[in-house]
Amino acid sequence: MNDNIVSYVLSLFDTAPTPLLVFLIFGVAIFILVNVMALIGGLGTYAERKISADIQMRQGPNRVGPYGILQFLADGVKMITKEDIIPSESNKFLFTIAPILCLSGVLATLAVIPISSGFILTDLNVGVFYLLGVSSLVGVGIFLGGYASNSKWSMLGGMRGASQIISYEVPVTISILTIVLLAGSLSFKELISGQGGYPWTWYVFHNPFTFVSFFIYFVSALAETNRAPFDLPEAESELVSGYHTEYSGMRFGFFALAEYIEVFVVCGVAVALFLGGYKVPFGLGGDTIFGQFFQIGSFFTKTFLLYYVVIWVRWTLPRLRVDQLMSICWKYLTPIALFNLVGTATWIWLFENKSMVELLMSALSGSGSTGH
Amino acid sequence: MTLYSYLLISLFLFSCGIIVMISRKNIIAMLLGIELILNASAINFVAYSRFLSGNIDGHVMSLFIIVIAAAEAAVGLGIVIRFFQLKESIHIDSAAELKS
Amino acid sequence: MFDSFLFYLSAFLTCFGAVLVVLERNLMHACIYLLMSLIGTAGLYFTLGADFLAATQLVVYVGGVVILMLFAIMLTGGGLENKKDRLANLLSYIPPMGSLKSYIWGSITAVAFLSFSINITTKLVKSTEINGSIKIGPTVEQIGVKLLTDHVLMFELSSVLLLGALIGTAIISRPSKEIFLERK
Repeated sequence: MNDNIVSYVLSLFDTAPTPLLVFLIFGVAIFILVNVMALIGGLGTYAERKISADIQMRQGPNRVGPYGILQFLADGVKMITKEDIIPSESNKFLFTIAPILCLSGVLATLAVIPISSGFILTDLNVGVFYLLGVSSLVGVGIFLGGYASNSKWSMLGGMRGASQIISYEVPVTISILTIVLLAGSLSFKELISGQGGYPWTWYVFHNPFTFVSFFIYFVSALAETNRAPFDLPEAESELVSGYHTEYSGMRFGFFALAEYIEVFVVCGVAVALFLGGYKVPFGLGGDTIFGQFFQIGSFFTKTFLLYYVVIWVRWTLPRLRVDQLMSICWKYLTPIALFNLVGTATWIWLFENKSMVELLMSALSGSGSTGH
Repeated sequence: MTLYSYLLISLFLFSCGIIVMISRKNIIAMLLGIELILNASAINFVAYSRFLSGNIDGHVMSLFIIVIAAAEAAVGLGIVIRFFQLKESIHIDSAAELKS
Repeated sequence: MFDSFLFYLSAFLTCFGAVLVVLERNLMHACIYLLMSLIGTAGLYFTLGADFLAATQLVVYVGGVVILMLFAIMLTGGGLENKKDRLANLLSYIPPMGSLKSYIWGSITAVAFLSFSINITTKLVKSTEINGSIKIGPTVEQIGVKLLTDHVLMFELSSVLLLGALIGTAIISRPSKEIFLERK
């Protein structure tokens, strides 16, 4: 049904799959992936502080370790050793389970992220759809965090956060559908195999509708992760940090880690859908194990570039009000996304799924040969 | 697993849903029971489609059950919210009379 | 054990979640246990080879219906719990039945239910083969084809139904003008 890292590792060693071996390989791969993602989440906080410092013409953290790179470890130790405060009037079960829901929603999306053609934990036939479904758990977690804290500001932050997440799922889903129409399948490997290594074979330059759709997806996914100019639910100047006001120590650490890993996942999905995924230009490495490392490098390079853009946008643009946020979603992004969907379907019907670049090249070569 | 394990699970879910609908006095709690019942029937359809018939009609039926359950939950909760605005309570016995 | 690990995990989540929905008195907690049961059901769909259906279950139920119920519970007062003691609570689970007719119907239903469940359980205990002869393939394309050829009427009617539900809910749950004037 699907083809994943287990089959890749077993094909490297030419052994037959026994259930115990499959379980062990999955266990090791998941362990490696979750640790790498936690490292990326921690380094994301460091990167954010350094990049914001660079934008604001100051130095970031530069005391702990060379260039301050161990700052996230110091933050982690601080969070772990803080006293765990639970408000006495709060609903203890919901208070405990809200950060767990947020983090498990984000970690469950890691199962389908295409890091290279061999290292996908599982290439589900419905990979993109599963990812959309599981990332809705974050909205439930935010709402419960706001409700269970038994405080006015948290409740407002939680309600705004949950309504923002469920509203912006609509343009995200429609933009993803635009690419699914082009590739013809919901699985990540099929979506990436329709693209190539060179930038002109990516889906973002396939037709003008997918080009606009990339920006719609990027803006809506930023809003879904409560990030960038859309971070009203956790705005410090308005809601005293919103739905995670009452959380301290590692519980707050779960929320923050979930946010940074979710930004990475969203950038990873944008790279896989629109920017060519893990394909390397010039086909470096081929099918060998070195090809896998090149593919991992290509994927991470593109994702970190988008991550830089996300951090850059956060420290450049002012925050939106909640009614502006909702009107952008329902009055502008959703109609444009629907128009893109219909436009892409029309393009596929008119030009038989050829990209702009292919049409241009065939028009030039056609006119060149008949022009003489 | 076998067909009967899925049937047993759906029977258990269905009976839990019925018990929730019978024994709760809160309207929203009864809607929770309805969701359990609809889930049980959807599992039943998919299990029969997988084990006994070769086609995919069971999946299509379950898809429509999910769609209808979502629409019904939305409308039901809208009615409950309106009812709460009028009567200030969501106990099922306060909905016993026709005119307030 | 590793073969059907997903099946046992999902079955445990589903059934345990359903039991906790029955036993829990606080409404918000019951909603979270329903969420657990729905995630378990999605896992069961994955073990049955219905991948598109499982993803649809996750998107629609987890991301839509549960959040909707949580919002509604919050907007209607939070589901206040009654503070009886534990034994009286247990006895109050049995719904009061008064007349002879309800006892007769209740016992007929109980006999039918018990016979059905004993039938299934004995068949389950006797048969141990796992039916793997039907090939599980990707179901997305097959469901798409079926929706647009055999079941196109249901497809179109469900879109009309969803439109009606959307507009109807928005109109029903809007507060009327008297409530606005009263609150001023």
